[in-house]
Amino acid sequence: MKTGKGGLFQKEENFAALLVAPALLVLILTTTFPLVYLIWNSFQNINLAMPFMNSFAGFDNYVQMMSDPNFWHSLELTAIYTISSVALQVVIGLGLALLVMQIPRGQGVFRVVAILPIVLAPVVVGLFWRTLMLAPNFGLIDFAVKALGLGAVNWLGAPTPALISVIMIHTWQWTPFAFLVFLASLASLPVDVYEAARIDRANAVKRFIHITLPLIRPALVIVMIMRSMIALSAFAAIFAATRGGPGTATEILNLYAYRTSFVELNFGYGSALAVALLVITLAVSSVLFAMRTARVR
Amino acid sequence: MTNENDGKRGSGIIIGRRALLKTTAAGLAVLAAPAVLTGRAEAAASAAGLSSVKNAKIDWGQVKGASITIGVIPAGYFNNLDAVLPEFSKLTGINIRLEKTPPGEIRQKAVLDLSSKTGTWASHAADPMYYPLYVKNKWIEPLDTYLGNAKLTDDSWFDYNDILKSWSGSTSIDGKPYGIPYDGETTLQIYRTDVYQKLGLKPAETLEDYAKNAAKANDPSNRLWGCALRGFKGAGQNMYIYPSLFEAFGGKWFDADHHLVVNGKPALDALEWYINLLTKDAPKGVENWNWPDIADAFSQGTVASYIDANTSAAVVANPDKSKVVGKIGFARWPKGPSGRRVASIWNWSFPINAALGEKEKTATWLFIQWAASKEVQAATSYGFSGAYKRLGVNRTSVLGNDAYKTLANKIGDTFLDATMASLEHDTDVDWRPRVPEWPAIGEIMATAIQSSLVGQAKPKEALDLAQKKIAGIMKG
Repeated sequence: MKTGKGGLFQKEENFAALLVAPALLVLILTTTFPLVYLIWNSFQNINLAMPFMNSFAGFDNYVQMMSDPNFWHSLELTAIYTISSVALQVVIGLGLALLVMQIPRGQGVFRVVAILPIVLAPVVVGLFWRTLMLAPNFGLIDFAVKALGLGAVNWLGAPTPALISVIMIHTWQWTPFAFLVFLASLASLPVDVYEAARIDRANAVKRFIHITLPLIRPALVIVMIMRSMIALSAFAAIFAATRGGPGTATEILNLYAYRTSFVELNFGYGSALAVALLVITLAVSSVLFAMRTARVR
Repeated sequence: MTNENDGKRGSGIIIGRRALLKTTAAGLAVLAAPAVLTGRAEAAASAAGLSSVKNAKIDWGQVKGASITIGVIPAGYFNNLDAVLPEFSKLTGINIRLEKTPPGEIRQKAVLDLSSKTGTWASHAADPMYYPLYVKNKWIEPLDTYLGNAKLTDDSWFDYNDILKSWSGSTSIDGKPYGIPYDGETTLQIYRTDVYQKLGLKPAETLEDYAKNAAKANDPSNRLWGCALRGFKGAGQNMYIYPSLFEAFGGKWFDADHHLVVNGKPALDALEWYINLLTKDAPKGVENWNWPDIADAFSQGTVASYIDANTSAAVVANPDKSKVVGKIGFARWPKGPSGRRVASIWNWSFPINAALGEKEKTATWLFIQWAASKEVQAATSYGFSGAYKRLGVNRTSVLGNDAYKTLANKIGDTFLDATMASLEHDTDVDWRPRVPEWPAIGEIMATAIQSSLVGQAKPKEALDLAQKKIAGIMKG
């Protein structure tokens, strides 16, 4: 490549920049600017209920966060929610994909059925579970649990069952995504490797651990990255099902930031919470990305 | 009505075909109306009742051509207003539009609009607890100048003092009016007369008796639970009922130094009473119930009694949906240990957005005056030609009208007496702490109440934590 200051080269570069400029401008206005504004807000005291207190806060909001038990509680919930729902999605999704791979015909039907939960709006999913599935005495799940002789469980009315419920809802909606990715990935695996393994008398478990898993690792990591990022920023389904309750039992960081900003009208501290969530999401996904590039040559 | 959620149901009554045919209703034109059972008002306004609006000695056409948008919630009582709204445009030449926003979002939208001074909503259906915040920020206009200006208001016709004091008080700050109530409610003890009769119970005079009644009526094996109160978390849900208990137990929101105190003995007693009652004698899941859930359960005959808005009668006395029509009794709130009855009260009111131009402000005032007038209150209630007639009228004179009494008595013969007694004797404008920080305080308290109800925290711990947070907020 030429690196000189040739007139033509530079002109072309300018021209290219000119062509890209409108798109870039829109992108900056709609993504970068709000983000910078959010970060700026997080260094301010902005409380609509007390406008006379508005001022520059420096790191006050962040210092306050460190000693805020609600923040640590919501962070803990975010970790439980993300780790368990992603793990469940990967395990169940992979299991289902392996099973469906065994079916010689009609895999297409499973693909179509799997898409259904994904296309539902999360709010709809939250409300649907809240009213039809989990309502005490009337819900389908409660009906099944009672039929099994386990007694009625107040799913969304008690802290631990409520947390399990929102993890279950998220897993129900998004496992099909993992399933579809794994199914596509499994379908593309080379047959000859498995034949060779069979000749060497490797059993199914060995074949899975030494052949299938290493070969689908890229798909595995991509699913984990995408699902973690979405789980960290989950909102609508939980909001519709429990509004973060009962008490604060399902109030993950995202919901806490929302409540602080838009219900309590404390925009400064709410912005700081949102920035914290942003930093955590970036950190988690960069770790996962690093894992991906490190393992795959 | 009643705060958030499920705006489709409104305060009011939908008269079934039979009831409609039976009624003579003081010669109202309702007999001609189609008995379509729908919460929406598709019928045109009964213009007859509205012509006397012209008697007001003001120039209704003084800002002809102005355009304003009003934010409301999708509820029957606003649908009826929407249906008669063409009469307002005809009278004033003002272009007006009601924009419907779900009750869970209207506060946030209004706050964003007011704080950014965009003037999108000239007025909106406002939560009375938000007036201290609005006024502190000077987001809305003081209305005394409008009420006192003979060019803008004919007070002998409008008669501001006819509007229920417990409602207009809640939309005033330091005695100065900032909003005019359009529709509202008070809360009552609502019970199954057949169940109470069978068990030999009387509506409770005290909270202690209320819990005893609930325990006696509670019979889960026959799918009948003793009682229900709002358990769902929110400033307008569990924090709508709890403050009444707090005051009935002798609680005072502010101490001698005007500090907000929420973890004193009465606060704890009230919370323990509430938790005890709901965990023993209420259906499972009540922790997540708001008023529509309660009214649904009652109308299906699974709850023997509840304490909530009088206007929830629109659901429980609707012959099409309710199995308990004709078996509903109404009584005032039971007295607490302090000897007081404290009813939770609510209204939707209209303020004027301060970010508007002068012409739009005048147009908005003309609308508010019109909507809150006797004529429009009657025309959207008993005078409405559609099947749905709203109950939550804002004036003593309309509540005392014979046609309104006829409407109210269809719900139950104790309805009107209990409502009137409650509005007259059991209300207190300051039954919740009216401070600008209310949105945060309401939320903190709602969380504390629900966490202790579900056992996430002990009541004392929950209230202490709430106190700590509130102290931090009030300190600034």
